[in-house]
Amino acid sequence: MANNVRLYLTCIRNTLEAAMCLQNFPCQEVERHNKPEVELNTSPELIMNPVLICRNEAEKCLIETSINSIRISMKVKQADELENILAKKFLRFLSMRAESFQVLRRKPVQGYDISFLITNYHCEEMHKHKLIDFIVQFMEDIDKEISELKLSVNTRGRLVATEFLKQFI
Amino acid sequence: MAAVAVHQFAECITCHAWSPDQSMVAFCPNNSEVHIYKLFGEKWEKMHVLSKHDQIVCGIDWSLKSNKIVTVSHDRNSYVWSQDGTEWVPTLVILRLNRAALCVQWSPKENKFAVGSGAKSICICYYEQENNWWVSKLIRKRHESSVTTVAWHPDNILLATTSTDGKCRVFSTFIKGVDSKESESSSSDLKFGEQIAQLDLSVTWAFGVRWSPSGTILAYAGHNSMIHFIDDVKSNPSAQSIPLRDLPLRDILFLSDRVAVGVGFDCNPMIFTADDTGLWSFTKYLDQRKAAPSSSRGSQLSEAFGKLYGTSKQVPSNDTVEPSKPRGGAHENCITCIVPLSKRGNTTLCRFSTSGLDGKVVIWELDIPK
Repeated sequence: MANNVRLYLTCIRNTLEAAMCLQNFPCQEVERHNKPEVELNTSPELIMNPVLICRNEAEKCLIETSINSIRISMKVKQADELENILAKKFLRFLSMRAESFQVLRRKPVQGYDISFLITNYHCEEMHKHKLIDFIVQFMEDIDKEISELKLSVNTRGRLVATEFLKQFI
Repeated sequence: MAAVAVHQFAECITCHAWSPDQSMVAFCPNNSEVHIYKLFGEKWEKMHVLSKHDQIVCGIDWSLKSNKIVTVSHDRNSYVWSQDGTEWVPTLVILRLNRAALCVQWSPKENKFAVGSGAKSICICYYEQENNWWVSKLIRKRHESSVTTVAWHPDNILLATTSTDGKCRVFSTFIKGVDSKESESSSSDLKFGEQIAQLDLSVTWAFGVRWSPSGTILAYAGHNSMIHFIDDVKSNPSAQSIPLRDLPLRDILFLSDRVAVGVGFDCNPMIFTADDTGLWSFTKYLDQRKAAPSSSRGSQLSEAFGKLYGTSKQVPSNDTVEPSKPRGGAHENCITCIVPLSKRGNTTLCRFSTSGLDGKVVIWELDIPK
């Protein structure tokens, strides 16, 4: 199982290395504007084919690149209802604080749980390999975080139930 | 045979150009200004700041004979700066563009310059003596997307362009009164804006077009990590496409008719040489690196590239995880610009300089056997 994760993350890392070749590109549609082309979606020649990397039906990663920006959308593993709620709440918490992350997108792309938007300005300010490390580390940590949250919810539930039922003994 | 000098000028450099005597360098530190630095012994001192543009200056060229600087910017304007004593005086050039300008180059005779723009057109500007200003003529047809790079042929008339529609085109820019007619060429080819050739070798965006010093070979890079060499474009074109191992190139420079340097997202200049039969191949990376990337990483990268560009490359996958290593080497971020430096004395050493998004200007030296 661990081997499976390694393969998935390595595949994503290599795709990002190839896809994150961004450059400053002024908008072709509107004068004096400079906007991420992957979000604008007006000139088809400036956007590359999107790549979808699936680990299984539940976990996948969509990478859409353009000449000056890249959008990475992830769907995290949600095995049962509890994980579903935890994932949704946790990722919503992160997305609302997208400004401090800089590369996070405020709303995930339709059909996914969380999205990143990296532009050429991020690549100019920060090292490309560090950005890719961050994204891959994030994906690893999300799974760990949600498992930990689920564990703590179950533990707390057990403790509360034990305390409550003690009065009936 | 490596980096001779490394200078950190700013956080990030968009483009740079050298003065005719190579004592001064002009560059744009990723904002709307152009900084000119002069070398005093070992130290670089900021001499001038040219600030007339409103948006980022994306192209600078310094003419060697007439000592004029031309700058173009994303704000659709272009200025020609001439030195008046100790100050640089700008002259506005009316480009008549309605989108950003992306690249600029002086012609070999320095009586014209070409500007590529996001308006899917090229401007050829020449000086009109009677009115004392620079006039522009536009080539509006043919391009389906932004023009990323322009390159003049040594004959001062042919212009090669690359565009984000993936095509490389060669145009004639003959202007009556500025250019003199050569008796050998046919008159039909010499009409202004006439497209001589269109090359469809690249499936994706094309950058960095350059002519060889004799004007017989044309080279440009495709974003799918390929470099294309075309021999004899006008009459009987024959092309060679070389796939690169890693990331794509942004700019190319010919050091001679047989040696070319490519720079790009690998942060390391690549040398390409042609053998006696004219067959081009990749020779080596110029910079010595500490950690050599393993071959498995290269094959997985090419597979990833294949997916992004809709082509399929069957490569066996590998189990090991490759943590990203900091590369080490002269440049830490993408190299965007490469400029030739003239040779000193009668040596076989060729010098050129590169600038990148890490804010460094690096001077390289390479031995080219005759």
